[in-house]
Amino acid sequence: MATNAHRDRAVTDLHWMTATEAARAIAAGELSPVELMQALLERIGRLDAKLHVFIRLDGDAAMDAAKAAEAEIASGRLRGPLHGVPVGIKDIIDVAGLPTTCHSKLLIDNVTSADAVCVSRLRGAGAIVLGKLSTHEFAIGGPSFDLPWPPARNPWNTDHHPGGSSSGSGSGLAAGLFPMALGSDTGGSVRNPASACGIVGLKPTYGLVSRRGVFPLSFTLDHVGPMTRTVADNALMLDVIAGYDPLDPGSVAAPAGHYATGLERRIRGLRIGFIRHFHEEDMPADPEVTAALEHVAGSLKERGAEIRDVRLPTLGEFAAVNRVILQSEAWAIHGQWLRERPGEYGQLARRRLMAGAFMSAGDYVQAERRRLGMIAAVEGALREVDVLLCASAMDPPSRIDDPKQVERTYPRQARTPFNVTGHPALAMMSGLSSRGLPLSVQFVGHYFAEATLFQVAREWERAAGTENKHPVVS
Amino acid sequence: MEEAMIELLARRAGLDTALAEFPEDVAAAAELASASVAKMKPPTDPRAEPWPPMRIGTGL
Repeated sequence: MATNAHRDRAVTDLHWMTATEAARAIAAGELSPVELMQALLERIGRLDAKLHVFIRLDGDAAMDAAKAAEAEIASGRLRGPLHGVPVGIKDIIDVAGLPTTCHSKLLIDNVTSADAVCVSRLRGAGAIVLGKLSTHEFAIGGPSFDLPWPPARNPWNTDHHPGGSSSGSGSGLAAGLFPMALGSDTGGSVRNPASACGIVGLKPTYGLVSRRGVFPLSFTLDHVGPMTRTVADNALMLDVIAGYDPLDPGSVAAPAGHYATGLERRIRGLRIGFIRHFHEEDMPADPEVTAALEHVAGSLKERGAEIRDVRLPTLGEFAAVNRVILQSEAWAIHGQWLRERPGEYGQLARRRLMAGAFMSAGDYVQAERRRLGMIAAVEGALREVDVLLCASAMDPPSRIDDPKQVERTYPRQARTPFNVTGHPALAMMSGLSSRGLPLSVQFVGHYFAEATLFQVAREWERAAGTENKHPVVS
Repeated sequence: MEEAMIELLARRAGLDTALAEFPEDVAAAAELASASVAKMKPPTDPRAEPWPPMRIGTGL
């Protein structure tokens, strides 16, 4: 099965088509959505037993929807910019008629009656739901082997962890099982699998994408984000799922982004703040990670960006605040089940979700008070620059079958700061390690300035050709 | 955190079943909480406000 080899290939195979290419070809009548769906279902049938991407594949319904899309388009009715394009949904996000299990025995029969707002928006644009994707149990913990479904595996090397908690989303995208997926991000759960699988994952500004219909982990840290293989697809997907929701108390009426336009603007003159102390002092990174980050910064400088050093509070401080808030809010959500049915959780989730029982109200308020200072620190840094550049993961993906290695490397990341502050943050491939595993970089922007993030990410993608780097899976 | 304190807090939180069936997990959760709180540096300014703030509104 998996190897650590890879190849750059021209995008000719249907399974490597981007969402943007597929949507354009389908709308022009050059590609049948049925043909695309058949190709993906065949590939899923061949690979998913090894990758464990799907908790539930809804293949028949997806094929019916592809046939309906074909008929609609043939009759001149184009639903929207994603008509006929398949999408995978992390299984903490509701899809009407399917169970939202959260990868847990507790919710194994939790069939939902309505789509989450983000799913409804995707369907409104014509996207076709392929099925529900594996996660960490309730989007917390790590890869677990004591749950009703196995954890997803990394297609670059199936002995390795694909990152989480949006594990199936990252693995399935990298393996060419679908061109788009939804993930959620409370402490980095979109950006972690994006980093480990070499794809593009965005945690948007808090409030930009509705959380309604998404099982909560931590109300003030939870974000829903697009996951794709290319920057352009990510922007296209965000164009569809962003928008004010009056029934989500955290939702914000932000100006329309038009994220997919302006991607090709060059970055000459943009000021980029490089947060080196995250990976040089706070959590010294693997040398290959450090070298790749320097390469990204150097490459962007060559293309006209101005690179400046920036300092923020330490990663340890951010992580502590994130954990106190997350564990307190998660305990409020899970307390009753943990009292009554603790044996129905896997061990990793049970341990992490019970932690909030041992925190006081004062601890929680102190974390929220510290949070305001952290927001001020990031805002202060962003007064001097347009975008921040920093590490995402400090290490290449760990082995999945080595709990100690997973536990050691999991907290070694720089993603949680921007859940605490709510700034938009995008993770993508920075290169490949000597063992052929993805390395990553993170870009962070001003609130609601996702368009600038995409602009910088697209410049790096163009320079490095990351969109054409795929694992060889068979 | 001492064992007696863990048990006291767990029982106060209603985790009697977990304490009986998964005592190691309860202890690990308590340690995780202690470590997180210990690493946090609360603001020293007594006027420092929490985020998010209370905002008046009409509800949903």
